[in-house]
Amino acid sequence: MTIVVPRWWTSIAFRQALIYAALVVLTMTVLLAVFYQQTVGVWQQRIDHQIDATTQRLVDYFEHKGAAALATHITGLLGDGIDSDTEVYTLVDPAGHKVVGNLALEPDILAPTRDIVEHRVVRAGRSSESRLRITHLGDGGVLVVGRDMQDQRELDRLVRRASLLSALVTLLMAVAGALFLRRQLEQRISAIRQTAVRIERGDLAQRVPVSQQQDEFARLSRDINAMLDRIHALMEGVRHVSNTIAHNIRTPLSRILARLRTAQAERPQAAGLPEAVAFAIGEIEDLNVVFDKLLQIAEVESGARRQGFGPVSLNAIAINVLELYDAVAEAKGVTLTHTLDADPVTAGDGDLLANAMANLLDNAIKYTDGGGAIHVDTRRGAAAVTISVRDNGPGIPQTERSRVGTRFHRLDRSVPGWGLGLASVIAIARLHGGDLQLADANPGLIARLVLPAFDGS
Amino acid sequence: MRRCLIIEDDADNARYIADGLRELGWFVSLARNGADGIERATGAIWDLIVLDRMLPNEVDGLAILKTLRGMGQSTPVLILSALSATDERVRGLQAGCDDYLTKPFAFSELAARVEALVRRSQFGKDVREMRVADMRVDLIARRVERSGRTIPLQPREFRLLAYLLFHQGRAVTRTMLLEAVWDYRFDPQTNVIDVHISRLRNKIDRDAAVPLIHTVRGVGYMLSADGLAPQTSA
Repeated sequence: MTIVVPRWWTSIAFRQALIYAALVVLTMTVLLAVFYQQTVGVWQQRIDHQIDATTQRLVDYFEHKGAAALATHITGLLGDGIDSDTEVYTLVDPAGHKVVGNLALEPDILAPTRDIVEHRVVRAGRSSESRLRITHLGDGGVLVVGRDMQDQRELDRLVRRASLLSALVTLLMAVAGALFLRRQLEQRISAIRQTAVRIERGDLAQRVPVSQQQDEFARLSRDINAMLDRIHALMEGVRHVSNTIAHNIRTPLSRILARLRTAQAERPQAAGLPEAVAFAIGEIEDLNVVFDKLLQIAEVESGARRQGFGPVSLNAIAINVLELYDAVAEAKGVTLTHTLDADPVTAGDGDLLANAMANLLDNAIKYTDGGGAIHVDTRRGAAAVTISVRDNGPGIPQTERSRVGTRFHRLDRSVPGWGLGLASVIAIARLHGGDLQLADANPGLIARLVLPAFDGS
Repeated sequence: MRRCLIIEDDADNARYIADGLRELGWFVSLARNGADGIERATGAIWDLIVLDRMLPNEVDGLAILKTLRGMGQSTPVLILSALSATDERVRGLQAGCDDYLTKPFAFSELAARVEALVRRSQFGKDVREMRVADMRVDLIARRVERSGRTIPLQPREFRLLAYLLFHQGRAVTRTMLLEAVWDYRFDPQTNVIDVHISRLRNKIDRDAAVPLIHTVRGVGYMLSADGLAPQTSA
């Protein structure tokens, strides 16, 4: 069986407001109960107290002066004009006849009780609710002392009705408030939802309107907009990458096709064919390398390799990669020197960091002429460790630095390469929570890989 | 004749590998799907299995490999895969493959790796000394002599020489050298390996009557006393 939840109940604003209203009603009920107890209850206690005191006084009077004197006294009390609207006195003789009093006697009430009782009686010819104390006197007579509660009960009813009415008003106000709150919330949320719908339909430029108020919704809207900006930038990045990849792959493909078509057009046994095939193979192998490098950057950017992170010594990486490149540097007449700080360690993937370092060193050697000098140093700071490669080559102009690291962007097309090296270094740096900084070495370039220091956890 | 089983569903690729291996003197058998592959892999003795990762009907080559290893078969297995990401490679090695090559690949790279795999299973671990022509290499003391003259080598140069020695008569690729000698799995942009080889060659082959280190065009390098003799089946 499914329970059908009404639509209004699915509104969180409505639910919250209703729960709040219920709380208010509950609080009111408790307050009214206390109020009732403190007024009506206390008053009734005081009346009972008074009845007890009067009974005690009259019984004493009887015991000292006898029944006849008591009857006279009661007659006096009834006629004194004090409390005559409410007082109840009746004396009954041992035979069961009323001696004096303002109650129309009903025999069944004359049984003595321990406590004060409430009876509907006829007092002074008028039906009334009264609290009575019925006491048996020493001679077999019965003394009834009491108080007419008719007005009291009237007040009771008034207080109850007022309480009920105010509870009802509270409840109505609460429900109205809930509906109002729900509408308010829905209005604010619908702005966000409309934006979401428009973005879903493909209009990525849409942003949530931010109201002037500095409330939670304004903050949420700003956060959502910041997120949308980021997504937009990423999408643009992807579009740019797809375009450049398409360009960089289509160009060699058309070169291959052109060569093969030319060879095909010649006579089959012509000498150009094997050459064309060799050319095509070479180009396709190059394309393969480009693909591998692109995929590697994508893999690094996906963050999957973070799982294999462990402590990595930058000194070990510097020494290893320097050793890998020393032969190349020597062959080109470039001097490699290094200074190492004590124990700079980061958390990362040694293979990737060595790859990044190899890329930086590769670039430095590539762009430094014979007789140049490259210096590698590692440094350990409080929060960050760095490995930097400084060359005395031509450097990178300030205006170009922001574009360096874009895939396929190349500074000098006469130098072999694909324009993917620094892109991959940046991807590796970011994977490690670090950054690649480029600075002027006057002359030359300092490429600095800044990584978070390993904190032992 | 050495026997190789290729488990690969792509007909062109399978034929490309099979033709190449046959030319190198291998007996080659083809399995086109996982079920056939596992049946043949367990039904006969092979010197090598070339295994594709993605097979028809969602069969992963790794499952076949795990089954084989679970049955105690230690035949060298080379995995071919279009999945190049490092963790895929690690998964392959964990499942018990001996080498992992990503598609597309040059046949020369495959051939060199295949030779290395088969050699590895033939070489004992307790070799103390190796001789090629007039070169004597003490693997324990890490000393190299040529015509009785000691040649001082740096540790990394010695590892490079040792790797070439263990694969003597076979071409090894630059990638294989980078993996084995430097423990790196990335392609440096510059051919750093070439320069290291030329430095080693300078120390080993200079003033020598017979050059030992040879460049194999389009593949890599080979250490051999007989020059670039055509590769023969062992």
